[in-house]
Amino acid sequence: MSKISKKFEDGLLVIAEKVEENKYLGSIKNAFTIFMPFVIVGSFATLFNSLICSPTTGLAKWIPILEKIKPAFVAVNFATMSFMTVPVIFLIAMQLAKANKVPEYITGVVVVASYISVIPEVVTVIVDKQKGTAAGIPGAALGAQGLFVGMIIAVLVVELFSKLTKIEAIKIKMPPSVPKGISTSFNTLIPIMITLTITAIAGNVFFNVTGMYVNDFIYQAIQAPLEVVFQSPAGIIAIVIFSQLFWFLGIHGGLVISPIRNPLIAAAIAANVAAVNAGGVATQAVTYGFWLNFIVAGGAGITLSLIFAIFIFSKRDDHKMIAKVAFLPGLCGISEPIVFGLPLVLNPTFAIPFILNSGIATAIALFATKIGFMPCNTVDVPFGVPVLIGPFIGHGWQGVIVQIIIFAVCTFTWAPFVLMSNRQAKEEAKQA
Amino acid sequence: MRIMLACCAGMSTSLVVSKMEESAKVQGKDHKIWAVDQTQIEEELGNFDVLLLGPQVRHILRKVTKIVGEKAPIAVIEASAYGRCDGEAVLKQAEELMGGI
Repeated sequence: MSKISKKFEDGLLVIAEKVEENKYLGSIKNAFTIFMPFVIVGSFATLFNSLICSPTTGLAKWIPILEKIKPAFVAVNFATMSFMTVPVIFLIAMQLAKANKVPEYITGVVVVASYISVIPEVVTVIVDKQKGTAAGIPGAALGAQGLFVGMIIAVLVVELFSKLTKIEAIKIKMPPSVPKGISTSFNTLIPIMITLTITAIAGNVFFNVTGMYVNDFIYQAIQAPLEVVFQSPAGIIAIVIFSQLFWFLGIHGGLVISPIRNPLIAAAIAANVAAVNAGGVATQAVTYGFWLNFIVAGGAGITLSLIFAIFIFSKRDDHKMIAKVAFLPGLCGISEPIVFGLPLVLNPTFAIPFILNSGIATAIALFATKIGFMPCNTVDVPFGVPVLIGPFIGHGWQGVIVQIIIFAVCTFTWAPFVLMSNRQAKEEAKQA
Repeated sequence: MRIMLACCAGMSTSLVVSKMEESAKVQGKDHKIWAVDQTQIEEELGNFDVLLLGPQVRHILRKVTKIVGEKAPIAVIEASAYGRCDGEAVLKQAEELMGGI
């Protein structure tokens, strides 16, 4: 391999290792991995709501009393998605505390308390056209809009709290006969007091100077622009291709980009569910369900289509054998057998479609959304749900059609390279 | 011997696990083999004698080595054996890592 591509490969590997070893990115990634089931359960509550309680599309059509339990499903939505910042920052704090070797649970609670201390505790209400305030926490501060400010606060607070708990001078000395649990709880008292006082004052000063709460400011300054880029065709396709470059090296690209991807897809599905619950239309296309059903349909790089292309066009027995092994896992979106078995890793013959296909798939699915053919989803599916079933649950019959189009188009983009591989094998056989 | 495999979500390594179990059974060996998501490695410390990483997560090797330390040998599964779901080859790799049991 040439020097340039070797350098490129090493560079990407270093990025992947750095992302993995960075404790902040690692903690964020792990926290979202732990929280992901709740996002999926929350989105399924939306599905149950329309299947059971809706008087037009659900069982309530025939059993009207079922409409009464609708608030229960909305409550499940709220408890999982519209409240996600609190559990997520708690989990991030615990992960970071583990890395810093400080008590995990207490650090988690400290971060939640710090976060609550900087967000508004009054909400604006309008009664009889009179504007006023009432006690309450605005939904925006608890839901996905609080994710980025929450992550920033979690990182800062954990570092501060960790430093403070390690200062001997502010520890309360106990005689050795006192049980360890008791001395631990006393010894965290002063650091908690200092941490909470500093964050609350910082939040207060920020509000007095700028006239804005810090959560609103960070949302508008950082999270909202990132969401716009992430949801734009150019933005998401660039991210997808970047992820595929890692796959070309045989590294799980989705895992590498997950610290930035996962907060944004969580925010997207939460926004969609909130919009639908409020009687509106979901507008955020790129969600976890969208990622699984279209961007990496049948495996990152749309490798299931490669399997089809091999079945149809390949004259190579070795490739046909691998395609057979990889077919069933491929139906569930697992690409590793073909990625490492064929292999696609560092294989120049298949590099172009392997790197670009997921971008093409993204473009197709976004186009279908843009023209109004396919709705934005409110139901995310977990990884491992077979092809065709996944998009049906998430995006309805339109999703199934879009996925079939993606498979068909990508089978054609793989095909010329399968034919090229046939010729290469023939020439190698001649030379041998 | 207790062999743990780790990858992203533990899905694709679980394919290899079932092939390794078949192979161990044929050879009359009593191994415990299972797959986990890479975030669970730390929780499983002490439960495994040898740890194998899927090649797609080989970039976490350095980090995992720090976590596991001397407690168990670690290796990245040889890529082509992984792709072919060659249980026998992966099992052999695990056994060699343990110094051939």
